[in-house]
Amino acid sequence: MKHINLIALFAVILLHGMRAGPSLAQTSADHIARMKASQALFKSQVKPILKAHCLNCHGGKSTKGDFDLSSRATMLDSGFVDLEDPKDSQILAVIRHETEPHMPMKSAKLSQKQIEEIGKWIALGAAYDAPFRQKLNGSVRQVTDTDREFWAFRSLDKVEVPQIEDPWVRTDIDRFLRVAQDEVDLAPNPEADRRTLIRRATFDLLGLPPKPEEVVAFVNDPDPQAYERLIDRLLESPHFGERWARHWMDVARFAESHGYEQDYDRPNAYHYRDFLIRAFNDDLPYDRFVSWQLAGDELDHDNALAMMATGFIGAGVFPTQLTEVEFESARYDELDDIVATTGVAFLGLSIGCARCHDHKYDPIPTGDYYRVAANFTKTIRSEIQLELDPAKNRENRAAHARELAMLEAKAKRFEAENLDAEFRQWLADFEPDKSDTIWQSATVVNVTSSAGSKYEYADDGAILALGKGPDKETITIRMRVEMSRVAALRLEALRHDSLPKGGPGRADNGNFALGELHLSHGDLSGEKFERLILKNARATHQQNSDALSVAASIDNDPISGWAVDLGGIGKDQAAVFDLAVPVENAKGHLFSLKMRFDHPNARHSLGRFRISFADTVGQTPIVGQGGMPRSVVKALAALKRDEVIDRGQRQQAIEWFVGHKSKLRALRQAVEKKRGDGPTIKKSLVQVSSEGLPHMKHHADGRGYPHFYPETYVLSRGDVHQKVEVATPGYLQVLMRGGRAADDWRVDSPDGWDRTGFSRASMANWLTDVEFGAGNLVARVVVNRLWQHHFGQGLVATPNDFGFSGERPTHPDLLDWMARDLVDHGWKLKRLHRLIMTSAAYRQSTVRRPDHDKRDSDNRLHARRVPRRLEGEAIRDAILSVSGQLDETMYGKGTLNSSMRRRSVYFFVKRSKLIPEMMLFDWPESLVSIGQRATTTTAPQALMFMNSSVVRAAAVGLADRLQDRSDNESIHAAYEWALGRPPTEPESRRAMQFLTTQMVAHGTSAQAQRLARADFFQVLFSLNEFIYVR
Amino acid sequence: MDEKTLDRRQWLRQSGCGFGTIGLAALLHSEGLLSADQLGDRALQPLAPQPTHFPARAKRVIWIFINGGPSHVDTWDYKPALSKWNEKSIREFDPDFTNTTGFFKNAVGNLMQSPFKFKPRGECGKMVSEIFPNLGEHVDKMAFIHSGFSESNNHSPALFMMNCGMARMGFPCVGSWVTYGLGSESDSLPAFVVMSDPKGRGLPKGHAANWSAGFLPGVFQGTHLKPTGSPIDNLERSSELSADGQRRQLDLLQALNRVHLEDNSESALLARIESFELAYRMQSAAPEAIALDDEPEHIQRLYGIGRPECDHVARQCLMARRLVERGVRFVQIYSGGMENQRSWDGHQDIAGNHRQFAGETDQPVAALLADLQQRGMLDETLVIWCGEFGRLPIAQKGAKPGRDHNPHCFSAWLAGGGAKGGVSYGESDEIGYKAAVDRTHINDLHATILHLLGLDHEQLTYKYNGRRFRLTDVAGQVIQPIVTSAATSIG
Repeated sequence: MKHINLIALFAVILLHGMRAGPSLAQTSADHIARMKASQALFKSQVKPILKAHCLNCHGGKSTKGDFDLSSRATMLDSGFVDLEDPKDSQILAVIRHETEPHMPMKSAKLSQKQIEEIGKWIALGAAYDAPFRQKLNGSVRQVTDTDREFWAFRSLDKVEVPQIEDPWVRTDIDRFLRVAQDEVDLAPNPEADRRTLIRRATFDLLGLPPKPEEVVAFVNDPDPQAYERLIDRLLESPHFGERWARHWMDVARFAESHGYEQDYDRPNAYHYRDFLIRAFNDDLPYDRFVSWQLAGDELDHDNALAMMATGFIGAGVFPTQLTEVEFESARYDELDDIVATTGVAFLGLSIGCARCHDHKYDPIPTGDYYRVAANFTKTIRSEIQLELDPAKNRENRAAHARELAMLEAKAKRFEAENLDAEFRQWLADFEPDKSDTIWQSATVVNVTSSAGSKYEYADDGAILALGKGPDKETITIRMRVEMSRVAALRLEALRHDSLPKGGPGRADNGNFALGELHLSHGDLSGEKFERLILKNARATHQQNSDALSVAASIDNDPISGWAVDLGGIGKDQAAVFDLAVPVENAKGHLFSLKMRFDHPNARHSLGRFRISFADTVGQTPIVGQGGMPRSVVKALAALKRDEVIDRGQRQQAIEWFVGHKSKLRALRQAVEKKRGDGPTIKKSLVQVSSEGLPHMKHHADGRGYPHFYPETYVLSRGDVHQKVEVATPGYLQVLMRGGRAADDWRVDSPDGWDRTGFSRASMANWLTDVEFGAGNLVARVVVNRLWQHHFGQGLVATPNDFGFSGERPTHPDLLDWMARDLVDHGWKLKRLHRLIMTSAAYRQSTVRRPDHDKRDSDNRLHARRVPRRLEGEAIRDAILSVSGQLDETMYGKGTLNSSMRRRSVYFFVKRSKLIPEMMLFDWPESLVSIGQRATTTTAPQALMFMNSSVVRAAAVGLADRLQDRSDNESIHAAYEWALGRPPTEPESRRAMQFLTTQMVAHGTSAQAQRLARADFFQVLFSLNEFIYVR
Repeated sequence: MDEKTLDRRQWLRQSGCGFGTIGLAALLHSEGLLSADQLGDRALQPLAPQPTHFPARAKRVIWIFINGGPSHVDTWDYKPALSKWNEKSIREFDPDFTNTTGFFKNAVGNLMQSPFKFKPRGECGKMVSEIFPNLGEHVDKMAFIHSGFSESNNHSPALFMMNCGMARMGFPCVGSWVTYGLGSESDSLPAFVVMSDPKGRGLPKGHAANWSAGFLPGVFQGTHLKPTGSPIDNLERSSELSADGQRRQLDLLQALNRVHLEDNSESALLARIESFELAYRMQSAAPEAIALDDEPEHIQRLYGIGRPECDHVARQCLMARRLVERGVRFVQIYSGGMENQRSWDGHQDIAGNHRQFAGETDQPVAALLADLQQRGMLDETLVIWCGEFGRLPIAQKGAKPGRDHNPHCFSAWLAGGGAKGGVSYGESDEIGYKAAVDRTHINDLHATILHLLGLDHEQLTYKYNGRRFRLTDVAGQVIQPIVTSAATSIG
């Protein structure tokens, strides 16, 4: 125990930043105890004294006499403190006033007790718990070429494959492994049997068990390439993306809620998960996979997938309940989450450790941290409408254009070929004398609304308002009428199915309230209008005879006016007004009608209406289509008599015919409807991360959270109150080789693009630059992640830490060889999967020999395979799959309902309501990047197999699936489905005995057999063999 | 791997499935293998008891979490000067005061004296608010801290700060660290149990993140006993199965599992076989542990069961005693639910609010202390009374004045488990606005809790993503003045 404690202490001291210690390697236990005591004294007593009396002039605002107290190193450099002979320290002499200058300068002498404390502190070693001030610009950690020689940062050079002859070797991967095994004289295992292989490969690639028929086909496949073909088939399965997306979701700390206090949902965050599934299935090159997640909105903004990928940036937690004092630190915390996750996910580096001080182990100065953070300064979460299936939408647009053209052609053809005959035939029966001529519809010039309402015009002169009505509005209608004398005005208020309660009003109850009605008469040029006096208002129905009567619409009170509730809703109504003085003009008239709807009850405006005029006063208000204009009657009568009339008149008559009586009208309407409907374009609301888009709304908006600050500052000790300077976008110096500077990775935005700054696109360029940038490390890290998921342990055992304190690779050459191969073949991950899975190392058995344990107990040399427990998702999916209950629907919104039957990757990840069945099996909490899940074995897991309704339901489901078979057959089939093999003879016998006993126990139940079988299938699901893949 | 490790592994393998789980983990721990990125072989028995760093004073913890932020000046931090300052502006006291100190910047009132009377209690003569008539009996068991302060004036970050040592999400809470450090003494109950408000007033802000294991393996997260329905998931057998039927299932399962061990003797598989037996025991042990009917009537009465104002907390406190008695390591009981009138968050009517919540907890918590003592368990059980922050000495304006959040000062007490009785540590300023003397960071409080449990807060680390993390981050000092000297410890 003792030496362990010491090691732990070293670690602690390193954490405290005391690397200035002169001879750490030789320090004794006593020294450490003294340093600890000194540090404690510093914290409790000395620090406040120095701060209050000394620091201002010595390392704070200024540094006088070259005596700098801001850190232990600078203090020791000054020579005022003598650790060899503490009592002789100059500092003690000046504060004791034994030597000039007496300190503190021009202030009271320190108390005796204070002086003693300082003396004691120096005698114990003058330890600091932390420097007073971190120097960010001066003595920062320098990144040198020596740092770049660390294995993870080295350039990715071509590696020679060891040339060995060995019958076990199948691929080049095996050659690397075989050489290392040979060094300890360890022979690898032979290939596993085919049943084991197909189960292993199917779970690894799809997270599901192979189906019995697939097992049989593979086992009996005579093709020597059968295994390779199996891998190819599995890589093409859509389930592949579902399996591997979930691995990446761990790394990306993906969740669909904000976390913290209220943990509000992010209902459109799931598109990031869907991006991952598609990206893996489509074998999106990994360099693009990386780039899109950081800058898809800049690099390929017309591509929905690239936009969806940016969900990565905004997947972290955010405290939506904030007070003003927390705003700025909350944004820096958010940037920290982004920087830390970016570093860990793509680079396997804990950049986040450099937020408050230079990284303790890795060559990452604090300045680098803030330079990386500055790339994200204006990047925020937004929700935008995206066409997720642009091909389908393109198809729809083309189809619509085709259909529209067809309808137009049809109408044109009718007009050219049939209209004339149709008109003549109709004209033959036309009786000019009988046409209704009392009310003539006005020809509307335009309708405007003060609230911007939009209208649709019908051929019968009716005007329909579209959409939801405004609270208040004034509608102005300009119209012409072809009659010489105008003596009365009719306003029809008409019902329509699109209106609330069928209208005629736009209020929620279908009512309206016409506050004022002004009719003005214009000269025909439309420049001068004169208001006309209206009188004798009457209507088909009015709500009352007082403030809601039709008379109140011309009473100069803008509130009171015609309304039609209490019997008039959903029906056509009409109001008639006589002109106090009729107007006359042989050339016709131009009118402007102003209708004011100011009622305090919201949206009491008119939804559908029509205006017409008559030449006599005293007409009864009736609803009815306006008659044929007189000019039309005259023209038709003349045509009927075969008289020659002028072209304009003739045109007017035909137009009237087309608008009212011709079949052409329906044909033209169909064209208009098609045009108006437009093509079916499906868009979805997607959570993205970008700049310059409206921010995603959340609770903190209530107090005015700004979402981002225009500049990111370098902070001292990570404290927003200690801003040092504006941070300029940049990268990690240790991953910039060949004399390159940040500007060399600059990606320019396209001409005219200024919504985003392209700093993230530039960063992605650096990240994927293998030669001079971070691409070498990016490739190593992803190769290791794949290896880890295929073998249970990475070549680097710490997948999220490729830094100094992480593990070193067991086979550095192999790692580099695979990384180089990945890069040289277009960053295609499926190729890498195939490369790994076709190796003899992957295909060998789990047999464990004594020499395995003796020479390589941790199996670092891969001389055997180690059985691996499935993750929670694969366990649940396998149970559903075997029971025949798995719903294979892909993509879309997830759910919190743990009895859902889709694959587990479609669970909604809500941070405060993580799915209990998943948590049992070490699901990540989605707060930070997780590179490798723990694999714990606990009693609550066992309880799930024993008692959970999901497992029980699946067991019953399997029983139902096998109900037509005999007991023996059902046992056999269940083994094939669940374990991919037939039962052995003893297994089969035990199972039969068990069924018999259970059936007796369930005896009184009509379903005894079904329940007994379910009891047995539950045991199958609980077997080690079911969840441990060999 | 050195020779010794190899030998140990071989021994484990040879000893077959009969090996003691405790031995395994303890052995691994003694080799210092537990601070690796993964749990190593401990993953197989993650909750097996672990040795302490030094002799422990306390073996277990019951934390009464005073949820919402109790007002220290109305409970344990008697401030007679507040009467003198009554109705004056706090800016006369501290010109730097800003309206954004609390949560509601538009309701800042004047300084307000406590609506409660205080009187000296116990031999130590501690001045105690009238709302704690029963707890006042026990002040000689309590070590008070009056100089606590937090880093946030907002519930959930402050709750995370108090529970996890960081005002941000994603870090393991004290209970998780403690169970990671010490394991469990029960092989049939969860190691870390959390009880929340059963009166439908909600979960504390931040919900389950308050008992989260953060980056520690999920097995160390708190088990939340659901206030309604079955308290633990999957504890009840399907109605389609009898106890015998399930036993036969397990017997078959174990028999079939063992067949495969013969050619594949991985320790993970052995551990899993054991986990089913443990689960089988849990099915009866857990309901038994929380069934209060077995308790004699006078004990039930002592806690206040049957009294409408405190019945719910009484049941939780008695349950907590039964759980720790059976080896549960860490119990946390949240008094109150969400914000405002649903918890101690007395923004309005501080008098009514605190009278109510004190009434809900006073008798049950006092009974817990008395009961633990009469059973000789108090010496080994650390009881903590603490919330996420304090409240301001000024009034929050409203029909009935309340008090707003105060991150600058709070009070807490520790009792039993090596905490000194009848002492007070640290002081707030004259009016209780800010912690003034011996200011106590939450890291210090955490360091002290771990210390009493025999854990050095600087040694209890977990390496994750390239960094060795601690509950106390890079700070924390044990508050020695409130810790009993080693001579009286239980060792």
